[in-house]
Amino acid sequence: MWAAGACPLCGSFERLMAARSLIRDLVQIASAERVLSRPEDLILYEYDALSSRRVPDAVVFPETTDEVVSVVKLAARAGIPVIARGAGTGLSGGAVVTEGGIVLSLARMKRILEIDLENLRARVQPGVVNLDLTLAVADQGYYYVPDPSSQKACTIGGNVAENSGGPHTLCSGVTTNHVLGLEIVLPDGSAIHTGAEYWDRPGYDLTGMFVGSEGTLGIVTEITVRLVRQPEAVKTLLAIYDRVADATGTVAAVTACGITPAALEMMDGFTLRAIEAGTHAGYPLDSAAVLLLEVEGLREEVEEAVAALESVAHQHHAREVRTARSAEERDLLWRGRKNAFGAMGRISPNFYVQDGVIPRTRLVEMLDYIGEVEQRFGQRIGNIFHAGDGNLHPLIMFDARDPGERKRTVEAAEAIMSKCVALGGSITGEHGVGIEKNELMPLIFSEADLDLMRRIKGVFNPRGLLNPGKLLPSGKMCGELRIQVS
Amino acid sequence: MVESGAVIQADFASIVGDARVITDPAVCAGFAIDGITPHSVVYPTRAEEAAEVLRCAAAHDLVVIPCRNATKLDIGASPRRYDVALSLKDMNQVWYYEPDDLVVSVEPGMKFGDLQHFLARHRLWIPLDPGGGERASVGGILAANAAGPLRLQYGGPRDMVLGMKIATPEGRIVKTGGRVVKNVAGYDLAKLVIGSYGTLGVIVEATFKLYPQVANRVTWAIEPIALETAREIRRELLRSPLRPLRLVLLNHATRRHLADATSSPRLVTSSEVNLALWIEAGGSDRVLARYTDELGVLAAKHGAPLHKLDRDAAGETWERIADFGSGLTREQQAPLVVRAALPIASCEEFLERAEKESRLGGFETAGLVQLGVGVVDLGIGLNASGSANTDPEPRGDGVQPQAQAPGSRYPAATIIERLRQAAITLGGTLVVTHCPAELKSKLDVWGPPGDDFEVMRKLKMAWDPKSTLSPGRFIGGL
Repeated sequence: MWAAGACPLCGSFERLMAARSLIRDLVQIASAERVLSRPEDLILYEYDALSSRRVPDAVVFPETTDEVVSVVKLAARAGIPVIARGAGTGLSGGAVVTEGGIVLSLARMKRILEIDLENLRARVQPGVVNLDLTLAVADQGYYYVPDPSSQKACTIGGNVAENSGGPHTLCSGVTTNHVLGLEIVLPDGSAIHTGAEYWDRPGYDLTGMFVGSEGTLGIVTEITVRLVRQPEAVKTLLAIYDRVADATGTVAAVTACGITPAALEMMDGFTLRAIEAGTHAGYPLDSAAVLLLEVEGLREEVEEAVAALESVAHQHHAREVRTARSAEERDLLWRGRKNAFGAMGRISPNFYVQDGVIPRTRLVEMLDYIGEVEQRFGQRIGNIFHAGDGNLHPLIMFDARDPGERKRTVEAAEAIMSKCVALGGSITGEHGVGIEKNELMPLIFSEADLDLMRRIKGVFNPRGLLNPGKLLPSGKMCGELRIQVS
Repeated sequence: MVESGAVIQADFASIVGDARVITDPAVCAGFAIDGITPHSVVYPTRAEEAAEVLRCAAAHDLVVIPCRNATKLDIGASPRRYDVALSLKDMNQVWYYEPDDLVVSVEPGMKFGDLQHFLARHRLWIPLDPGGGERASVGGILAANAAGPLRLQYGGPRDMVLGMKIATPEGRIVKTGGRVVKNVAGYDLAKLVIGSYGTLGVIVEATFKLYPQVANRVTWAIEPIALETAREIRRELLRSPLRPLRLVLLNHATRRHLADATSSPRLVTSSEVNLALWIEAGGSDRVLARYTDELGVLAAKHGAPLHKLDRDAAGETWERIADFGSGLTREQQAPLVVRAALPIASCEEFLERAEKESRLGGFETAGLVQLGVGVVDLGIGLNASGSANTDPEPRGDGVQPQAQAPGSRYPAATIIERLRQAAITLGGTLVVTHCPAELKSKLDVWGPPGDDFEVMRKLKMAWDPKSTLSPGRFIGGL
């Protein structure tokens, strides 16, 4: 515990006494080993995968809904914020502490409560790791569809908060399309049950509105999700191009010709060379761009789709189209894609991931523009896209130690976001708004839109104690980079 | 009303023009709900006008109910009050269409059939088969979250809407989502509005994700079969790699009703073996041949006959199936129509219990199960002759004849209560989608709300503080 005198974090005596009392109360709710209060422990909870802001006052690891209720009630009495946290893999600062408070980690609520294959559903606690649910039902031929690249670490509770996507959501939808019902603890400590174990319970679709609300409306303590039958056949193709425009042309043609691949990813030459250096996925080092295409379904359907995709790719001057011949080859191609962000760390001290969305017909124009931005700001940009649904992840390379580079990186990112909006797109496709883009919300929403969102937030979270400072604009534009890289 | 009607009419006319405010009782009568008639019908032509009409109505403390073709206005409790019908029939334009990007934005008054026809030029469609069929409007489908058996493969309206513009009772137009297929910026208000039955705001534009048409489709019937066989086949089909577009189970009365109404042949059945399981799939000839093989094996395993249906008869019959509840209502074939939503594995049992109730009560029930989706539609008190039912004899038990299924020994409210209990016991819910107006005061068409109702009530207040829109029509009196 802290030494008597003054709080090591803020120096205030009152704050220290309040913090001590808070810790005592939290230990009453969860046992002492499930409450963190030492500065060296707390500092680990300052971060998510985007940035850091402040150290929390305490971290607590409840194991039951009742414990979550008790923590929330305690926070309500004390008037301090509660920030729900899953695995901390979020990319928009959703789990970052903005003004102190309790980090409520759901990592210990990681039980799969029920698997009901006949009803095609499972009931899980929020701390269940995304991939663990799929692994739990894979032997019986089922899977949980949304597959964010962080699926080995990220939790389903976090996915619900952010409405996470992933490469395979192109034909089967994102998290919101796979959640049937929720148990939610509201900031006043009441627990409600939304949705059901089936579609169409009458009433407003609170489940649908809650998914993607980024921890600002309530804390999810139980989730009922849909499970889906594994397809009979899957084929993964790698189409290799000498010109980026041919790759984007293929994407447009695939969308227009009526094939819906399970996944359609694009990487430019710079990105795939960075990946290849770390993963050895077998991507060709001298190409300008590759497409990673996957089709699934009945054997016959897959054979026909592969033939059609090969033909479209060749019409658009693909240098080569390779088909993964084994599960190992397929895994290797995907490993490269899913490790892309990590690979960037090998070639640049820091990088800033963007998450813009554009209409799919505007890909060529957008890529040209990103090239211009690269020239204008002098920061190298790698391109990795969920091309099939128009969701772009440009990666801006920079060195955080150089204030000039940091400034140019933010300006480049904002230029890219503004272009997405100008093309009729959105500022985030799957990473969320968080603290990264809340001040950019007025780019796509009017004051009337935002006012209604504020009122809806007020219905759930009237005192603003849950995850403050996220999603909605605060009105004060913070000049410094929203990515605070250590 | 404090102010005179003339003042209010003038205010509406200043927004939409004189010709678009109708007070003629004959016209207003066409918009009546459960015998309650509005005093005006207002026809906005643009989103801004619709928003202004709402603002004006709220300022005058009037109640507004939005509608287009009234295919779903039966659904819901009787309105607490009803002053103005907001007809969206003249808001029927396509605002944005990008076929290569598979996106369309339309106004709410567009008929769904017209929209599908428009999209068909590029071999695209919105894969929904809602009640009301082609006559249903885009706005009505979204307000009712209406989906049919295609949901098995494609999901429902909430899975297809990318964004919306909504006129609020405060006279604003708010936007949610956008025109791109992936978007997590801001709260997803479209989810709330879809299925809110016009109680939160008026949808003035909706953007849909489009899908390539499935040109080559075949329907097979496995019939007649017993309930236990149907259950086994459903289990095996949903476990198999096959991905049918639609999968429904029809009971004997439904099957006969469809045979009467379409060119599909009648079915010879026994009392125990009298159900029909229909499967539709799409794809290339090779893919469809695979379905024929696998379904043949499945049917043979259970000793059930497999028939491949004539293409034209199948198309016509699927339209009737999609329109099942609304069709029975419109043609006055059944005085009571209910929809149960249930876990997938409980649907056959619910159908069985419903049939048992029918036998006990001495009436006939048409049942349609959307297998793999978890929805059972029942038309209760189906007239065996297939013609409109009129039951002239009062029963002498104090219940009006209209409030009672024909030939039933129970009052209709009792039948509903027993079926609802059955649905709840099986883990589901039951909504009365059609019944005589006088019965609505005797029963709760939505059933009991859950522990999330208080939040719903507060959300209604946040959107519609003066209860201008459709008050009292939705669950719990929202």
